[in-house]
Amino acid sequence: MSEPILRAEGLTRRFGDFTAVDRLDLAIEPGTLFAFLGGNGSGKSTTIRMLIGLLTPTEGRIELDGIDVLREPRRVRDRIGYMGQKVSLYQGLTLRENVEFYAGLYGLEGGRLAERWGEVRERMALAEAENERVEDLPAGIRQRSGLALATLHGPRLLFLDEPTAGVDVDSRGLFWERIQEEAERGVTVFVTTHFLEETDYCDRVAFIDAGRLVVDTTPEELRARYSEGYRIAATPPPERAAATLAALERAGFAVVERGPALALRRATLDHAALAALAEAAAMGAELHVEPASMNGIFTRLILENASAREAA
Amino acid sequence: MSARRLLTLLRREVRATLRDPFTVAVLILVPLVALLSFSFVLSTEVEDLSLGVLDASGSYESRRIVAELEADGSFVPRPYATRAELEAALVSGEISAAIVFPPDFQRALLARAPGQPPPEVQLLYDGAETVLAGNAEGFLQGLINAAGAELVGPEAARGGVVVEMRALFNETLDGTPFMVAGTFGFVLSFLTTLITAVAIVNEKIGGTFDQLQLTPATNLEIFLGKLLPLGGMFAFDVVLMMFASGFVLGVWPRGNALFFVAVSSFYVMTSLALGLFFSATSATAAEAVQKTVFASIPLVQLSGFAFPIRNMPMAIQWLTEVLPATHYIRISRAIYLRGAGPLDLLPELGALTVFAVLLVGGSLRSLARRP
Repeated sequence: MSEPILRAEGLTRRFGDFTAVDRLDLAIEPGTLFAFLGGNGSGKSTTIRMLIGLLTPTEGRIELDGIDVLREPRRVRDRIGYMGQKVSLYQGLTLRENVEFYAGLYGLEGGRLAERWGEVRERMALAEAENERVEDLPAGIRQRSGLALATLHGPRLLFLDEPTAGVDVDSRGLFWERIQEEAERGVTVFVTTHFLEETDYCDRVAFIDAGRLVVDTTPEELRARYSEGYRIAATPPPERAAATLAALERAGFAVVERGPALALRRATLDHAALAALAEAAAMGAELHVEPASMNGIFTRLILENASAREAA
Repeated sequence: MSARRLLTLLRREVRATLRDPFTVAVLILVPLVALLSFSFVLSTEVEDLSLGVLDASGSYESRRIVAELEADGSFVPRPYATRAELEAALVSGEISAAIVFPPDFQRALLARAPGQPPPEVQLLYDGAETVLAGNAEGFLQGLINAAGAELVGPEAARGGVVVEMRALFNETLDGTPFMVAGTFGFVLSFLTTLITAVAIVNEKIGGTFDQLQLTPATNLEIFLGKLLPLGGMFAFDVVLMMFASGFVLGVWPRGNALFFVAVSSFYVMTSLALGLFFSATSATAAEAVQKTVFASIPLVQLSGFAFPIRNMPMAIQWLTEVLPATHYIRISRAIYLRGAGPLDLLPELGALTVFAVLLVGGSLRSLARRP
């Protein structure tokens, strides 16, 4: 396991008597696509602002790529990219002029800028928007432009604060593909979102409630712990029904309903489960796999956490 | 119209207004401050005015006249040994009027033969301050005449003392140069602050300020990046206003025009820094504009732009000293009307430098502040 690129220990922020973030610990490895979730007022934005150095913690320490963020905030600036809830583009300027402005602040000019921007522009599909004034751009393109600007200087860690807010479903899907590409290129992505289903794009999911970290795990593990898992509908050919059922039961699928169409459940889809599904498909079964809704999982998490707090 | 709906609307508006401490403060304080300060600053009484005295006569009679002037409480005499020193004090604004007694004043007053003209004292005053000069001129002449008449007794009161009045600058007491030079102060104080006041707060609202703070740009670079282009534009405005007042109103600076532009540009940067401070410490554009307007009330009343500071009570006069505009307007009028140069204006330039350091420092700190 490699050294975490981002580590926060005992991170706390108080506003008067109110504790917005309470002794938060995080350790994120390089290349992770990390989803940080929480309801309104849960401490999500306060945490992200502390991590990027825009807000001073009351207690705790933050280390980013081996640098103490609180002691040397300027040293981490080259290493991070940030895209806020409001896409930070200067109105009245074209996208290209915005690019030149931000690139200039990072010392990217001339040939290096042309090369880097050419690559980012291609990846984000922004060629046609380049000479448009940013106020004339549709929301989806504005989001991609924001991501392009945040990644232009080649950061090692990308912070995205609700990057898909106000964007239609199609554009959100396209946007997440771009984010995943960044992660595949080795960039660590720390993302907050209100769209819980988007956590399926991520490697790890953390949930903060009332300033405290409630869970920090993989989406798969989250489903296993806080839901009844996957729902699978299997319709095997009648002559292979018994063999299909046996194969699935051997792999640990719980049968909820028998008949010509089988209704099954399983907490996770591990290697054995996937092999059994492949076997069923090979026997001619029609399969429909539905993961547990993340909305349901988070509702349960919030309720359980509230009960625990009340009990405490 | 529904009375119930109207009541609902009224209730919300009153609640929202009363829950905003800044608005409540503005609603209560502005009328009070405006009322009280207007009543103080609009006084036309001449009080504690610095009066230069060049007494070449050194006689009992000349000292008596000076003592009479001092006893009245309107003037604070300051002795000068030479004419050159006296005029330098008038140029620098140290004094606003001066009285000159000739060497033969005593003899001319007491031993005047019938048919001979009464003795003459010269009264010099700073015509650059037209309002003040107008008030002081008649007042001073009346006092000297009365004191002179008393000295020579009723039998010789036919002439007493003749007062020769002479305005050193702006001899015709034309109000236009006075207002032109003051308007530079008003425009450069109000407009600069207003324009920069919304600069950062708009970026905060638009999200670009966070982004900017996460780039390698330092706070000083961000500060200068905001200030220098605006400073350049306002420096251009200064030149534009100078030519407009010259060609249209016939008012040109008596002093060095380049010096005036340089000082004005320096002042612009100070004023822009104040606007940035307001902007960096405001959550909304409306709050930043409210702060600017609030700060502009003393600008009109207390900076000397409209009302002479020397006419104000001493406590208010001290208060005016903490306004950068007061010092800039003094400089502007000194250059425009009295032809003053850098050496004449060292105290005012020093004061402006102190304000520049404080405001730029404060502005930088507010930019660097991590909540």
